[in-house]
Parts: sequence; C-alpha cells; structure tokens
Amino acid sequence: MTNSNILYIDSCKTAIDDAKTALLKVEVQSNLYFSESYADAWQMLSGENTLTPAPKIVLIAINEIGSEGIELIKKIRKDANLRSLLIFVITSVHDDKNKVAALDLNIAGYFDKPFENHKISEFYTIMNDYWNIIEF
Amino acid sequence: MEEIERNYKKELEVLKQEYEDFVYIVSHDIKTPMRAISNIATWIEDDLDPSVGGDIISNFNLLKNRVGRLESMMNGLLELSRVNRVELEFYEINIPKIISESIETLEDKENVDFLVINNLSNENVDTLGKKLTRVLNHLITNAVRFNNKEKKEVVIELNETAEAYEIKISDDGPGVPEAVKDKIFSIFYTVNSKDVVDSTGAGLAISSKILQVVGGSIKYETRDTGGSIFTFNWPKTITLKI
Amino acid sequence: MIQKLVSILLVEDDEVDVMNVKRAFSKNNIKNELFVAGNGVEALDMLRNVINPLPKIIILDINMPKMNGIEFLKEMRADENLKNISVFVMTTSNEDSDKINAYNLNVAGYILKPLSFEKFLSSVATLKNFWSLCEM
Repeated sequence: MTNSNILYIDSCKTAIDDAKTALLKVEVQSNLYFSESYADAWQMLSGENTLTPAPKIVLIAINEIGSEGIELIKKIRKDANLRSLLIFVITSVHDDKNKVAALDLNIAGYFDKPFENHKISEFYTIMNDYWNIIEF
Repeated sequence: MEEIERNYKKELEVLKQEYEDFVYIVSHDIKTPMRAISNIATWIEDDLDPSVGGDIISNFNLLKNRVGRLESMMNGLLELSRVNRVELEFYEINIPKIISESIETLEDKENVDFLVINNLSNENVDTLGKKLTRVLNHLITNAVRFNNKEKKEVVIELNETAEAYEIKISDDGPGVPEAVKDKIFSIFYTVNSKDVVDSTGAGLAISSKILQVVGGSIKYETRDTGGSIFTFNWPKTITLKI
Repeated sequence: MIQKLVSILLVEDDEVDVMNVKRAFSKNNIKNELFVAGNGVEALDMLRNVINPLPKIIILDINMPKMNGIEFLKEMRADENLKNISVFVMTTSNEDSDKINAYNLNVAGYILKPLSFEKFLSSVATLKNFWSLCEM
C-alpha cells in the first residue's frame, strides 16, 4: 500500500476535513488527495492534473439525488486506463436507484456516510484495515 | 545458418516457457500443501487439552517456525526468479523518500540511530522503482537484523555522478568474516546458523541479481572499526541486461 | 448486510482451505450461510440453478481445475443476473498478471492467503467488519 494514492471526492468540505483527520489518525500509508467537484476529480484522473502514480482507490461521495456521481463511475469504467480502480461510494441520500446503478458498475462497496465523530473514526479505521489486507 | 539460429530461438522460447511454468508451480501448487501443514498444526494445537505438557507445545512451535522458514525460502526463490521481469515497473521515485519509508517499516527501528548523508542534487529519478526499493529494503534490513548491539548505528550515504547513483550503507554490526566474503551473495547463504538469526539468506542474492539486470554493481567491504559497508551503483539510464 | 445474513459462496478446490474458511468464520462468529463450489464450472451451475436468493458475496480462489477463478469472473461479469455480485479473491498467487486480471474484472479486493492460521483469522475479522458496513 505504500507509494500509492487515494482520491476522495466530496462536494461537502466538512466531510473532506473529517475524512482527512480520521485517515491521518489511523496512519494511512497512502498519499491522500481531495477534490470538491466531480469535474475537477476527472481532471486529476485523466485530464491536465493527472496524479502520478494514478490512484488505486477512489472514494466518491454522493450527496444529492441525481446521477452526477454515477456518471463519474461510468466514465471511469469506460476508460481503459482507469477501469480497474477500486471505487467506494459513500452516500448521505438514501436512493435505491443510485445503489443499484453503483453496484451494477461493480464498485467495491456502497456505504452510508458517517456523521457523528465516533462513527467517522470507526468507519475510516475499518476502511484502512481493509486496504491493508488487500494486494494491488 | 539461419535455420540453426531459428532452431536455437525456438528452443530458447520453449525453455523460457518451461521455466515460467516451473515458477508458477512452486508459487501455487507447492504452497497449498505447505499452508495446510501450518494450518492443521494450529488446529490440533487449538483443540488440544490444556493439560498437555510443554514439550508438545514447544514442538508445535518448532514445526510452525520451520514451515514459516520454508515459506520464506520459497518466496526468496520466487523473487529471485522474477528479477528479470520489468514490465510496468518504470516510474518516478524520490530516493531519500523511499529510504525513509524503508526505515519506517523496520521492526526494530527504536534501537537504531540512522544517519542519512544526502549529497544528491537530483533526488527524483525515473527508474525501475520497485527494484531499487527492494535493494534498499534488503540492505537496510540486513544492516539492522544482523547487528547484535543493543544500540545500533546505520549510516546511509547518497552520492551521484553524471551516470549513476552511488549508495553506501554501513553499520556497526559484526561484519562478515574474511573467509566467507565471497559467499554472501549466494542464495540461502547465511553467516550464522539460521537458528541464531531467523533469516532466509535471500536478500543479498536478490539484490545482486537486480543490480546485474540494471547494469549496476554491488560490493562489500569491512569497515575499519568493524561492521559492514555495502556500496552499490545504480545507473541513471538503465540498459537492461537480461 | 451481515445482519440480514445474506449467503456467501466460497469457490475453492482445496479441502483444507475450505475447512480453514469454515473454522475462521465460526471463530469470528460469522453466521451467514456458506455454500461451497470446487471450481468455476460448479460455481456457475450453483449460481444459475441452486442458490436462491443469490449470494451477495463470493470468495474466489484463482488456481482451480476445470475453470479457474479468472475464467469464472469473465463468465460471471457477462451474465446479466450475476454480474453485480461482489467478489473477493483469496489466493496464494502473488502473480502480478493475476492481480491485474482480477482488478480489471472489478473484484472488490485481492487477498493473499497467509501461511499462519492466526493471520488468516485476523484477515477474516477485518473482512467481517468491512462487510458489516456495506450496503448490499
């Protein structure tokens, strides 16, 4: 897991700060990158601001009803260089249509977004443990 | 003439394929029963009545330790056989950064004083990153693992010429006896019995094979004050020697 | 999801490895129903004709007789009814080619079988925590 990048996309600045704090606390071994818009994130994956090495893990938050986040996953899955990315979706809206669409795109996991502090820290502890047992 | 050359090439291809198959068999087919031995030993131990004697427990530990050693040796052989594979491995790395990451992952780092002397003006290099990282990991681990002092000291010196990086790793451990100096780069060779320091003896063999493939070099010297100095040259532009 | 006790399909040809998973599940108090298939062909048959409702999780070995894990994944991802099941690879193969093929077929994780049972237990504990967070 060393030497790899993680990209987290969330339109909510507070959620990004929370994730950053929690992941630093569990001493995540990857470099963290954040983006507040799907469009900017796409630039970091495949446009002018491409991250090197390309991230292996992408967390995508879906905060509104609508399919912008799903569209980004579709774009990733259609791109020959990005389709193997491990995608985790974190959502604050309960929308079964999004869930089915995301699972059909073979994401690695679909999660309820944690809000209370202890839930946030528990969530990222489990995520980090999981990233540590898998190989790339 | 052309006919003969074609035949040789064909033969070489067949041999390469056989070798690949062999490596795959070692990596999977032999590992499965080996893991079974280790797992079943744990189950039996788990299911034993707590009143069984300490002898039985300590024999189980010996059994598991030796299967563990078998696995390390197998992994060492596999890594050695894969040194020639370089696909997807060229990327940019920062040399001081991978050194500090390597130090971070050491188990016994609390008892070691690391001194990194960085004379590099080009810290970033586009190279076979994984392989350079492996060499550094093996050498830094060795500098600590075989050092029997309570408080250890490791000095890492980074220099460069127009053509190559020269990295020197020295420690204040026991060093290598003059008589066996030439053997330390052979696979599975360890200066002491593997029971004294639990190691496989694969790291230096792998490192020297990597350096051979990238067209670099590695040498051992004994430090004036005792201890070892390993110095290796890593070319800035790699011409593969496979 | 793990609360709802969805079933899990284990695709694994080695008897001891099957026992290993069963033992690790029971030690971690994982009570989900576990189906076992000995190779890819058998697994596809069970998914198409036997297990109902379908499992939400598949644990997949790579090296197996008849149809190996990668071939099974290809077939599965091409089948409309099966393509969205989460797959976790559990194998001894540390080959880069196997990892790349598996991630290209969008597995949720690639886990190396450790030598010791203690380590395996802790990997399974991590998986259990991860599954408990997932909405499936």
